[in-house]
Amino acid sequence: MALDPKKHEMPAQDPQVRAHNFDEVALGYTEEMAVSEAQRCLNCKNKPCVSGCPVNVNIPDFIMKIKEKDYEGAYQIINKTSSLPAVCGRVCPQETQCEAKCTMGVKFEPVGIGRLERYVADWHNENAKEKAQAPESNGHKVAIVGSGPSGLTCAGDLAKKGYKVSVFEALHTAGGVLVYGIPEFRLPKAIVAREVEGLKDLGVDVETNVIIGKTLTVDELFDMGYEAVFIGSGAGLPSFMNIPGESLKGVYSANEYLTRSNLMKAFRDDPRTPIMKGGKVAVVGGGNVAMDAARTALRLGAEHVYIVYRRSMEELPARAEEVEHAKEEGIDFRLLNNPVEILGYNNPDDPRDPKNGFVTGIRCIRMELGEPDASGRRRPVPIEGSEFELDVDAVIMAIGTSPNPLIKNTTAGLEVNRRGGIVVNEDGLTSREAVYAGGDAVTGAATVISAMGAGKLAAASIDKYLSSK
Amino acid sequence: MYLESPFSICIRRKEQIMYKIVRRKVLRPTVIQLEVEAPLVARKAKPGQFIILRVDEEGERIPLTVAGVNPDEGTVKIIFQVVGATTEMLKHVPEGGYIQDFVGPLGNATETEGINKVCIVGGGVGCAIAMPVAQEFHRLGADVTSIIGFRSEDLVILEDEFNECSNKLIVMTDDGTYGRQGNVTVPLDEMLSAGEKFDMIITIGPLVMMKFVTLTAKKYDAPITVSMSPIMIDGTGMCGGCRLTVHTEEGDKMKFACVDGPDFNGYEVDFDEAISRGRMYFDYERHAHEETCNLYKMAENA
Repeated sequence: MALDPKKHEMPAQDPQVRAHNFDEVALGYTEEMAVSEAQRCLNCKNKPCVSGCPVNVNIPDFIMKIKEKDYEGAYQIINKTSSLPAVCGRVCPQETQCEAKCTMGVKFEPVGIGRLERYVADWHNENAKEKAQAPESNGHKVAIVGSGPSGLTCAGDLAKKGYKVSVFEALHTAGGVLVYGIPEFRLPKAIVAREVEGLKDLGVDVETNVIIGKTLTVDELFDMGYEAVFIGSGAGLPSFMNIPGESLKGVYSANEYLTRSNLMKAFRDDPRTPIMKGGKVAVVGGGNVAMDAARTALRLGAEHVYIVYRRSMEELPARAEEVEHAKEEGIDFRLLNNPVEILGYNNPDDPRDPKNGFVTGIRCIRMELGEPDASGRRRPVPIEGSEFELDVDAVIMAIGTSPNPLIKNTTAGLEVNRRGGIVVNEDGLTSREAVYAGGDAVTGAATVISAMGAGKLAAASIDKYLSSK
Repeated sequence: MYLESPFSICIRRKEQIMYKIVRRKVLRPTVIQLEVEAPLVARKAKPGQFIILRVDEEGERIPLTVAGVNPDEGTVKIIFQVVGATTEMLKHVPEGGYIQDFVGPLGNATETEGINKVCIVGGGVGCAIAMPVAQEFHRLGADVTSIIGFRSEDLVILEDEFNECSNKLIVMTDDGTYGRQGNVTVPLDEMLSAGEKFDMIITIGPLVMMKFVTLTAKKYDAPITVSMSPIMIDGTGMCGGCRLTVHTEEGDKMKFACVDGPDFNGYEVDFDEAISRGRMYFDYERHAHEETCNLYKMAENA
């Protein structure tokens, strides 16, 4: 049988339609597509794809199960190493991980591993009726700080081994960035809620409205009888550019904008939490968060949305699929442009004019690529005298975050690096005994799957530490 | 949907953890004091810190400053003025009812170190925040002068409480219906011009008032701390909505009220910017409040 050189296209909502709703963009493979895509897997002996996965999912094995139409069997293989398959199948950057290593990819398109993973996870969620059972307790208690991807993964792995795990979440809903950051159209919140429920079935306690560093400290967790603590508190404080006009009304951090829409449901018709809707919007930045913010703005009714990014398409860090989706939906990419000032309305004759202080535009300067910098990417250099203005009503800054100081400030002896990230060794252990950390709190803003990998590593280290105690 | 939710949550305790209103006291028709069961917060909260609450599952998150705690009972006191949709809903939660979320304590406690003589200047419902700060200084043995100001007599709150913890108390109303007539800056200016020296002036109230209290202090080079309460969502530094500009010797800096504050050196705060930012959702808020009021009225008449 001849191998199909291309992977099966992912069915998706029509761009013109989806640009105006918050329903999921990608619709998922049908059974026929999944089985047919699975046929493309060569089942290589050396399994290069597995080495590309931060949590080492046994990819060829689960794909073989799909070929046999044993979807629950496929799920069980994924579930051995990944706690959140329905999430990973949707938001992992497979093109730079497992699929980048796929043998098929040498000559053709790689196998659609992420799409198959999603199919299997969705099949399981749809069809598996049996709830996971909490295993027999081993008598050890572990506290997890933060219910994002690293915390949920760490909690799941430990719970499966019989640990009594409590997850502490600062916000009112568990899920961390999966809930407040990634929009509904990319990751439906019902899926995250189901993953959290699955953990509760395993006996994990999820305590919302508890801020570690404020409500309780890490030291108090030990006083309460927890024998190890994992800190997965996430990325933290949004960065701004330090240019004039960033305090004008209509300038948001991507964190605030996405939290208002995703967590606080400001996208609804009659929301309790307000958000600026409509008008023209500029999103500054080129990562996945910038794509999410831009596409959210569009769905909230913006008439025109710009992505303003200082480098070129080649350096744009967002997942290729997200960029493609954004383009299809009509997002206007203004590359090699850097904002120098945000402009606001000011009526000199009437200081009480209600329009005063609202954003009217953004002044940018054109850039060109110079010599490569420390990151290996060509450094963008401003072209003198090339400033121009875009008329916009809102500006969303999606240029990264810096770690949250709340835990560092209240945990004596917890070492952090120059940028505020928690320092860990190769086992995920911090400078404090029995305190582990992972995810964005350690690395700064990164991906869901790398955070999961860190949660997984810490879980294994905690298990090793407590079982030898 | 909106008719259902504000009432139902008050009566029915759901399986999930909710927070009980242990005591409810109407201080003035639009000013209400609640004592909420939240043992972890009660154990930790210090004067100057705040909490964030949501009334029900659909609710927005609003910050309110802690007006007192009872760690033994595990309750936290909050005082709020009905100004918008959420506070309107909160007003309708009865004693014994529950609210959805209550998290804290947030922000930093008011600095008391090395302050032996303090002047507390509170305005309106800001007095509810100023009160525990005044009490704390009193407990620490400091000399406390309190100036509290209100629009008119029917809004005066906490006079007895301030009396108990202040060496000197001055009550002001804008319209002269109670106490002295005038702004809180009037007696402050009089005292400072008469040569009175305070280790610190602490002002808590509407932004415009704090701006003018700061200007008054500046005339006499008196040190002043202001308590900022901007719009925010998470209260832990994540959203950046609460950012404000401080003018320092090293230039302008962006600060987040939730993690860097809420107390700031009054001389450094850009009040005009903060006032402008506070009005970002003004039209929306007014509309939402009216809608909510109408729904309650409809429910009452039904």
